[in-house]
Amino acid sequence: MSALPPPGEPIIDPAFAPGATVEVNDVSVWFGPKVALSELSCSFGPGVTGLLGPNGAGKTTLMRTMTGLLGPNTGSVRVMGRDPRADRSVQQSLSLVPEDEAVPAGVTARQLVRYVARLHGVGDRGAPDASLATVGLTDVADRRVGGFSKGMRQRTKIAAALVTGPTVLVLDEPLNGADPVQRAHLITLFRRLGAEGRTLIVSSHVLHEVERLAERQIVLLRGRLAAAGDHRAIRDAMADRPRRVLVRTRSTRALAGALLELDAVASVAVDGTEIIVSSTRARDIAVALPRLARSLDARLDEVRPLDDSLESMFRELVR
Amino acid sequence: MTAATRARGRPPFGAVLGFTLRTCLPARRWWTLAIPCGAAVGFGLLSRLSDEPADQAFATVADVGLFSLLIPIACLVIGDAVLGAELRSGTFHFTFLSPAPIWTIVTARWLGGWIVSLVTLVPAMALAAVVAQSPESVPAIALATAAGSAAYVGLFVLIGCVTRRTAVWSLAVVFFIERLLGSSLTGIAQLSPMWEGRAVFAGLGPGTDDLLRDGLPEGWAAVVRLAIITAVTLGLACWRLRHLRLTGSSD
Repeated sequence: MSALPPPGEPIIDPAFAPGATVEVNDVSVWFGPKVALSELSCSFGPGVTGLLGPNGAGKTTLMRTMTGLLGPNTGSVRVMGRDPRADRSVQQSLSLVPEDEAVPAGVTARQLVRYVARLHGVGDRGAPDASLATVGLTDVADRRVGGFSKGMRQRTKIAAALVTGPTVLVLDEPLNGADPVQRAHLITLFRRLGAEGRTLIVSSHVLHEVERLAERQIVLLRGRLAAAGDHRAIRDAMADRPRRVLVRTRSTRALAGALLELDAVASVAVDGTEIIVSSTRARDIAVALPRLARSLDARLDEVRPLDDSLESMFRELVR
Repeated sequence: MTAATRARGRPPFGAVLGFTLRTCLPARRWWTLAIPCGAAVGFGLLSRLSDEPADQAFATVADVGLFSLLIPIACLVIGDAVLGAELRSGTFHFTFLSPAPIWTIVTARWLGGWIVSLVTLVPAMALAAVVAQSPESVPAIALATAAGSAAYVGLFVLIGCVTRRTAVWSLAVVFFIERLLGSSLTGIAQLSPMWEGRAVFAGLGPGTDDLLRDGLPEGWAAVVRLAIITAVTLGLACWRLRHLRLTGSSD
């Protein structure tokens, strides 16, 4: 599903980002009889893009395919115009933070980050320490990562990914295990990296954090593209799914009765001083509601959409 | 984040080799490796119970105990550790997702494993010859172990790239293909690190007449054959790794 632009503007498929650095063209990936990705086409550009979907939707497979860990069965992936499987030089500009908790147990955080820096030919000898400082691991840099907590392991992997100064950074559940302070810190960091013009592709199950983090979302369902774009635009495009509006008033019965008379209203639920109106034409409700309230001499204490969040959009999509 | 500056042209071979030596053999693997090394010395002592001359007794023990059992098992522990174990654990992406060429990764990993075998297995085999009161066998057994372990580590690196059940398949290759088929089919033995390693010792060691086998190169010619086997296994491992689909530890 794609969000339509306002009338008069050219129709641009929101699955494709302008100035794309990562292009996924008609990609299918399967493991034996299980299809993980099916004819998926989309692209990612500078800034932060959230990659959403329920478990088994194909997010991790897509991320692994984009970085070259997995080759697609059909279709192609291009990162900065190059195939990450065939042209290993593209790895110079690409980093992955995988969901896997596994880290090489026998090395310290500093040794691991230095190793990644050396593999990528990073000449700045201070880069590993700076990268560890960025994720707040300076104090424990000489401790073995095998003894780290889940959150610290995650931050070590992020430090290892950042040390190469990647143009494209793919993060699979990067906030897993991080405490609230660290989560806030990492979200700020990712937003800053996106603002610098890097391409960040972030998957997370914590939708309100993705909402804070990403200006654009790609939603996968059963290996296929379900929606793309800003979540509000996606929600607007889901015209067949009713939207819910909360109306708080003391004249609940009179207003609810009047609302039910409107063609635009699908259903009305009354609970105390609250009316929850369901409609596929929320704009018509917005126009009609003040007029009805005036005519009934009812005071509107609060009017607020209930499903404008990323979470409600996601819930509607996967329903 | 600091802007990382690149130092082009610095080979990552040393980085991968250092990482292999530092990381791939945790304490548990070293202890596992100590068992065949200790057993080798035990076999050396065992040969003293034989009524045969010391060189001949050690050759017999080397045939049945060292080449057929201990060297393959020790090399399996090492060869699996340097690549297969990391592929299974899901940490290989730290190395794989880099601009380092695949051949660099494979050869550095293999070299790391071979170095470990040189500092553990070769001294253990030499010590076995000494305690067997056959010091003249030391150069031959050391060379045979060094060359044989090079090929074995290469073989187990390859198996680690092919299957996740490295231990099962490696033991199947050693005991069914090399030991069972190789003992009756010379064509198999010619490709076998076990039989070629044994042939190095048979060609260069004292009292090894019973170990000579028709159709197999001996001594230095067997060393060359083992070098070729090593190169072929590493070439195949590179090809396999290039086409591998890394799904992570959870899959």
